[in-house]
Amino acid sequence: MSLAWISKLTLAAGLIALPATGWAQSVNISYLTHWSPETVALLEAAAKDFSRQHPDVAVTVRAVPFGDLLTTLRSQGGSSDGPTIGGIYDLWLPELAKDKLVAPAPDAVASEVKSAWPAGVVSAASVGGTLYGIPNEIDVYALNYNKELFKAAGIAAPPKTWAEFKDAAAKLTDKDKGQQGFGMINSWAAGVVHPFASLLVSNGGNLVKDGKPALDSPQAGETFALYEDLIKSGASIPAMATADANTTGPFLDNFVSGKTGMIIMANWWESALKAGMGDKFANIATAPIPVGPSGDKPHSISYSWMTVVNAKAGEAEQKAAWQFLAWLNSPKSGKNGASAMSDILMSMGILPSRSSDIEAHKDKLGSEFLSGYVSVLGDARPFPVVLGGQEFSESLQQTLEALQYGQVSAKDAQANAQADATSILGRATK
Amino acid sequence: MAKAFRASAGIMLAPAVTLIGVFVLLPMLLTVWLSFQDWSTQTPFSEASFVGLGNFHEIFGPTSVGRDFKTALLNTAIYTALSVVLILPLSVVFGLLVYQREVAGGTALRTVLFSTYMVPMIAVALVWSKLYSPSEGPLNQLLGLVGIGPQPWLSSPRSALVSIVLLNVWQQVGYFTVLAIAGLTQIPGSLYEAATLDGANGSEQFRFITLPLLRRTLLFSAVIAIINAVQVFEPVALITQGGPVGSTNVLTYHIRRVGIERAQGGLGSAMAVMLMLSLIVCVSALFAFVNRKDSE
Repeated sequence: MSLAWISKLTLAAGLIALPATGWAQSVNISYLTHWSPETVALLEAAAKDFSRQHPDVAVTVRAVPFGDLLTTLRSQGGSSDGPTIGGIYDLWLPELAKDKLVAPAPDAVASEVKSAWPAGVVSAASVGGTLYGIPNEIDVYALNYNKELFKAAGIAAPPKTWAEFKDAAAKLTDKDKGQQGFGMINSWAAGVVHPFASLLVSNGGNLVKDGKPALDSPQAGETFALYEDLIKSGASIPAMATADANTTGPFLDNFVSGKTGMIIMANWWESALKAGMGDKFANIATAPIPVGPSGDKPHSISYSWMTVVNAKAGEAEQKAAWQFLAWLNSPKSGKNGASAMSDILMSMGILPSRSSDIEAHKDKLGSEFLSGYVSVLGDARPFPVVLGGQEFSESLQQTLEALQYGQVSAKDAQANAQADATSILGRATK
Repeated sequence: MAKAFRASAGIMLAPAVTLIGVFVLLPMLLTVWLSFQDWSTQTPFSEASFVGLGNFHEIFGPTSVGRDFKTALLNTAIYTALSVVLILPLSVVFGLLVYQREVAGGTALRTVLFSTYMVPMIAVALVWSKLYSPSEGPLNQLLGLVGIGPQPWLSSPRSALVSIVLLNVWQQVGYFTVLAIAGLTQIPGSLYEAATLDGANGSEQFRFITLPLLRRTLLFSAVIAIINAVQVFEPVALITQGGPVGSTNVLTYHIRRVGIERAQGGLGSAMAVMLMLSLIVCVSALFAFVNRKDSE
């Protein structure tokens, strides 16, 4: 056969196959996340598995830094060409639902979620009783401490009360070595607010109660005062606390390099700690949040993430997106009865929220680092998911940072935080 | 005849005027209109409701909205002033150094100076955030060698904005040096020869010949430097996220947070209008100042 004939036959075969290929991948959906390239690769592998079983659906994954995630969803989510699926923080849901950027879950998905996830997690993924997303991860805060530094400072056990906490922070502080006892975080709203809120709920207080800000309570006053004490005593150094757009930066560097004795952080930073510390990660242990003078027992702040579907996407894309998400979060997609989503999350040290996933990953969740988080989950208080929540969080961040840098007293910080929160939440619910 | 001339001029100008109208004037007018509305960026314009001067009242008010806006406006003003004050003299100094024909390697030096301007901001941000690292940063290590203690750089509200200014100066000074060199080439060499014959020394030649004849170039440089500085966004978004304590929260970054992240389109537009007005006032004042000097 001549070359010309081979070329003609190849072209003809290609033309015949073209409509079939077009049919085979007739729906393209995209998934927007803030995960690292390694985790994105795991999600892409799961998407390929799904496409093998559903050749009519192609899934592409796109990642942006955490600091740009909400902006990207806001600026591109309003169009049918925007991301079909987005991973979101539960605090953002009320406003995204109000602006009709996210689609309600179909009945089949909603009933599956309601039966397979804990009620609190389902409620965080709902607005006005309507479920908008499939929850996937739950994060909770605990005290992380460096065992080697504790030993060197002669501290036998992690602090259980604020008095012990302040004492341990003072003993761990060594100015000559550039070492601080307790590491705060700044320049990142959740990183500033969640540890503060964890201490507040462990002191019997609340950020928001019955939809109204509760930062004027005596318990909140004591929590602001605790921050002031730690700063004034030099046990916490604000210059060591900066975070960048990728939620890393000096605050993380100082902890992994053994210059910070304790920090209050969520379980998901296990992967960042392992990457930064290598074998020295074994020095890190987890303990419940120390209890304040007005608190009853250790509590913590929890929040969840979920995947939502773009309400402006075409009908076929929305259907394919829910189909993909239902598969990704089902016990059939992962290993040993776990969902593929939970396998991805566990690779980062993130707790999955589906009940069957927690059971399937029981062994890994029992590791020294993660078991400390699992144990405090039962008494954790969800971060208030309210309209204006993100602005409230950013405003409280500014106030806490001003307190960290000595620009305001604890008393003024408390008054400013309550006044700002009242104004922001009041405006948002108008 | 005149009628035909006007008609043909109109036809020739129409495409450019239409493009400018659609892509420049219309968005500006729309922003001004939105600044008087209560509007979420996620809803159609038809859902905007008129609130008069409410948004302006809010952004200059005592609540967190007003406080954050005023801080961002002040930060932008400080950033702009410092950038211009540092970039312009440095560009003239580097321009004079590089322009000396006798100096060997002048072209290579010019290329090195300009190369910083060509480096993408993401690379600059990555490198400088590490250079500024308080604990392990090379800058603090260098300072340690000469007996100066570690500086907080980006980690302190007192030094964070200045640190961002230094980064900006490092990146932009090469571009403005090229502009200064272009200005220097326009000054006739005969003026310097005549001045030398009249006994003027180098300093006098710089004061009475170079600087006055560079005035137009410096005016252009100043206007461009102001516009560039007012529009600063990337280093803040990539490195500091506006912190700590809002000390690097500049207006463009803040408007993005309010207008896009929080979808408060009316408030964001009011802030954008104030930014535009501030820029117009600054540039007009600069032109008026230089024109007065010219007429003197």
